[in-house]
Amino acid sequence: MTDTTVFAAGAPPRAIPRIRLSTVEPWLYLAPALAVVVLWVYVPLLQAFELSFYQWNMLPRATPRFVGLDNYRNLLGLPDMRQAVVNTILYTIGLLPLSVGIPLAVALVTGNLGGPLRNFYRALIFVPMIVAPIVAAILWRWLLNEDHGLVNAWLAGAGLAKVGFLSDPDVALWTLVWITGWKLIGFSTLLFAAADSAINPTYIEAARMDGASGWQIVRDIRLPLMSPTILLITMMTILFGAQWSFVYINALTGGGPLRSTTNVFHVMWEYGFKTMAAGWSTAAGMLVFVVFGLIALGCLALMRRLAVYDE
Amino acid sequence: MASIDITNVHKVYGRTPAVRGLDLSVEDGSFLVILGPSGCGKSTLLRMIAGLEDITAGEIAIDGRVVNDIEPGRRGCAMVFQNYALYPHMTVAENVGYALKVAGIRQPERARRVARVAETLGLGDLLERKPAQLSGGQRQRVAMGRAMVREPGIFLFDEPLSNLDAKLRIQMRLEIKRLHRELKTTSVFVTHDQVEAMTLADRLVVMNQGLIEQVGPPAEVFRHPVSRFVANFLGSPPMNFLPTAIDRRGRAVVEGGHVPWPELCFDLPSGAAIEIGLRPGDLSLVAQAGADDVLPFDPEILEDLGNELHLHGSIGEISFAVALPAATLVPAGRLGLRAAPGAVHAFRREDGRRVEPRARSNPPAHESGEAAWRSLSLSFT
Repeated sequence: MTDTTVFAAGAPPRAIPRIRLSTVEPWLYLAPALAVVVLWVYVPLLQAFELSFYQWNMLPRATPRFVGLDNYRNLLGLPDMRQAVVNTILYTIGLLPLSVGIPLAVALVTGNLGGPLRNFYRALIFVPMIVAPIVAAILWRWLLNEDHGLVNAWLAGAGLAKVGFLSDPDVALWTLVWITGWKLIGFSTLLFAAADSAINPTYIEAARMDGASGWQIVRDIRLPLMSPTILLITMMTILFGAQWSFVYINALTGGGPLRSTTNVFHVMWEYGFKTMAAGWSTAAGMLVFVVFGLIALGCLALMRRLAVYDE
Repeated sequence: MASIDITNVHKVYGRTPAVRGLDLSVEDGSFLVILGPSGCGKSTLLRMIAGLEDITAGEIAIDGRVVNDIEPGRRGCAMVFQNYALYPHMTVAENVGYALKVAGIRQPERARRVARVAETLGLGDLLERKPAQLSGGQRQRVAMGRAMVREPGIFLFDEPLSNLDAKLRIQMRLEIKRLHRELKTTSVFVTHDQVEAMTLADRLVVMNQGLIEQVGPPAEVFRHPVSRFVANFLGSPPMNFLPTAIDRRGRAVVEGGHVPWPELCFDLPSGAAIEIGLRPGDLSLVAQAGADDVLPFDPEILEDLGNELHLHGSIGEISFAVALPAATLVPAGRLGLRAAPGAVHAFRREDGRRVEPRARSNPPAHESGEAAWRSLSLSFT
């Protein structure tokens, strides 16, 4: 008791405002980041939620008209939307081998290579990553042109029939999947290679002492220890893959031919910025938000259960 | 059960030699400890035996079969790693049983063998745990189990106790000793800890800069070091070295003209420089500093270790340490040190090799039994 009194009496009077400041201080530091998030994420999200119950053509002079759940009802009944959902799933499934399968294989194979050769391979495979998406789109349009494209010239040279890579409704979507995936391979390979080289080499040595073959080491040691990265990239592909193809849909096919390459993100964009149907676009946006939100939660739960972390 | 024969083995990393021409054979069932400072090539040698490092030149044979180009898993060796290297995503049972799994042994048989090893090591309750949920000592034990389950011909230990705290280290050391007595599996144990080396070894190898300095039973290596390096490396506090010159009669003359051991004569030319090595425990304090066989000693710091005293000081410019029984009363001021002629080690200045005095009857260390080996355990704390 005596100690406290003495201490309180001896403490400088400035101590009190300083304590007050310290409770505010963290919020001051957080303010810029919070402002950005609130202003550019949460406010638009709430506004979009609100707009999805209105009919509005985005003209400043037109008044939005409240239509209740009509936008949602119409969207869910629309064949266009159903096609877009199916295509979104196809994009995601098609991208997985390119963003996970091939990069994982490349990382595992090149992981055993040493010295300058390894860096050379990795640089080579990383190049598509640094090409601007729109430039990549144009290059691929030239390469895949039905009449004068290099790829079709090669096919013709090999005695094969011409392929309408971007004009055949059965092929166009897979062409866009390939271009999207081609851009991703380098990035994924880099992440997988990093995860692989982060594995403590004594685990591999212990497995070699245990008599495991190269393949058994991959299956039992390297892949399980890379699981956090594998799951992360799988999750990112599922959540963002369809978004990543948007640039190529927009630049190369515009969703065609016969709407065969459109997906939910492209549909959303079309409603909003081509037909100026703000209500439809935001309603589609909210649906996508909810569905992908649920998928993300599922993925996170799965990741927590399956991933192995080395302490 | 297996023997190891190492013939003229070299290992070069780029241009840096790690092991420079090494011959060694390990008898079936023996416990060999390789001791040396960091960077002496001891771990490299172990990893070459294991097959984890290529052999640049020379030959390693296990049970008479050259294994230079044989995969690590097929050499019949099991290894315990310094960091244990337990697979973090597998349970204890899966870790221990992994070697059996890749060998294609079926689950029931595997479970039986894992259970047997777990029982020997007291791991029964831990089988379903992941390595992250184990303490350091438990991990160490699992690593041992993983090595034992294959019933290998050779155990290789790569500083397995260095990540444990002091108390646990002593406990695991005894456990390893006990297991070796039970299993009688040939073991090669690499360490930089001289207590582990002295206590575990049947045969001790001291390595320095990629070469073997000395091989022998630990007691002999300790009491009869063949070089200044070995003498300096074993023992705590380390051996004291006193530079001397040989006079015309072959006697060692200390700076200032003292001849402390007139009965020791060396077959060396007059003026040859040798270093006299004296273990701290072989020195005794005398009050009067004047006599010819007494070295004048200026004490500086007294360390009380509880079971003995370490007195650090200097003789002239050379720092000296003396180990004394706990009850000794240390008087203040300059003291004298005396050592029996039998406790004197001598090493040539130019190459550090041991030299023996001529007239001294010097029975080999191993014949004189344990008595002369003065309270080793005390000086090792």
